[in-house]
Amino acid sequence: MLVNAYSKRIFNMAYQFTGAYEEAEDMTQEIFMKLYNSLEKYDFGKNFSAWLLTLAKNHLIDQYRKTKWEKKSRDDFNEHYLSAEASDRPEEGAIREESKKMIWEGLRKLSSEVRMTMILRDIQGKSYQEIAEIMSLPLGTVKSRVNRGRLQLAKILKEEKEK
Amino acid sequence: MKCERIEELLSPYLEDELDPEERRAVESHLRTCQSCAALLSFMKKTKESLASFPELELSDGLLDRLYIIPEKKRRFQINLDFLLQPALQPILAAATILMMMISFYLFNPNRQNINNSVNRQVHLGYSKIEKLYAKAESFTDNLGAYKDNVLVSLKKINPFGENED
Repeated sequence: MLVNAYSKRIFNMAYQFTGAYEEAEDMTQEIFMKLYNSLEKYDFGKNFSAWLLTLAKNHLIDQYRKTKWEKKSRDDFNEHYLSAEASDRPEEGAIREESKKMIWEGLRKLSSEVRMTMILRDIQGKSYQEIAEIMSLPLGTVKSRVNRGRLQLAKILKEEKEK
Repeated sequence: MKCERIEELLSPYLEDELDPEERRAVESHLRTCQSCAALLSFMKKTKESLASFPELELSDGLLDRLYIIPEKKRRFQINLDFLLQPALQPILAAATILMMMISFYLFNPNRQNINNSVNRQVHLGYSKIEKLYAKAESFTDNLGAYKDNVLVSLKKINPFGENED
């Protein structure tokens, strides 16, 4: 079933993009409604997962442009991630909590396109080729967006640490 | 190389995507520029931190909302399969021809001419009907006159041979 196979991926993508839990839940529901309405248009020759992620990406960026929810601050990093992390990945305790909070908050300052590219590349670990397919962009543009995003986040972190 | 150029190369440097010459240039710059070296270190940290964001589980409420979407869609979907029944095909074909005729009339640039010719035909039809009515009336009158004559003639006939006086 589609919900079992893809809902977690879509919800996490929406949460990483919006930074707001309830907003991400609503977005996930809207994306699945769109998915069921567009299933007839799916070309069986194409990669379903990439097709679905493109649909999700388009919906998230369109809604972002309409509502500009980035003006609201993102949820506190600890609110949902800390409990999940403590139980799932205790081995990563070495990475400092403070940096993660700053980076999570810093995602808000990236443009929607750069933020989405960063989510796909550095959080979800997709290849540049997959991202190019999902974003419908040339490979070079994807790489330059990732460079820009990493540089912006590194500078944010550097500035915060130097304060 | 200037710091701006080095900054652009830091991300591909981290991913080992630079050619040997660019790589050497970046490493040589990093040995002498503390600011760019610090930036590289923060970039590494950023990359590691992003990769370590855990995946969240969905709440039961959201799962319930997602599971009912296909049912909701089915409930509001109108089933039009009955239109494909063979028995309905002549009706649908006739309806299609009718629609074509109507659209031919509605979108014809010479619609006024069609109207005029239809009017003419309708008037011709009316006048023929009126003539038929008129003929029928005169025929009825004639029948009435014949009836009166016959009655008068019958009265004049004396079946028993008696004098009228």
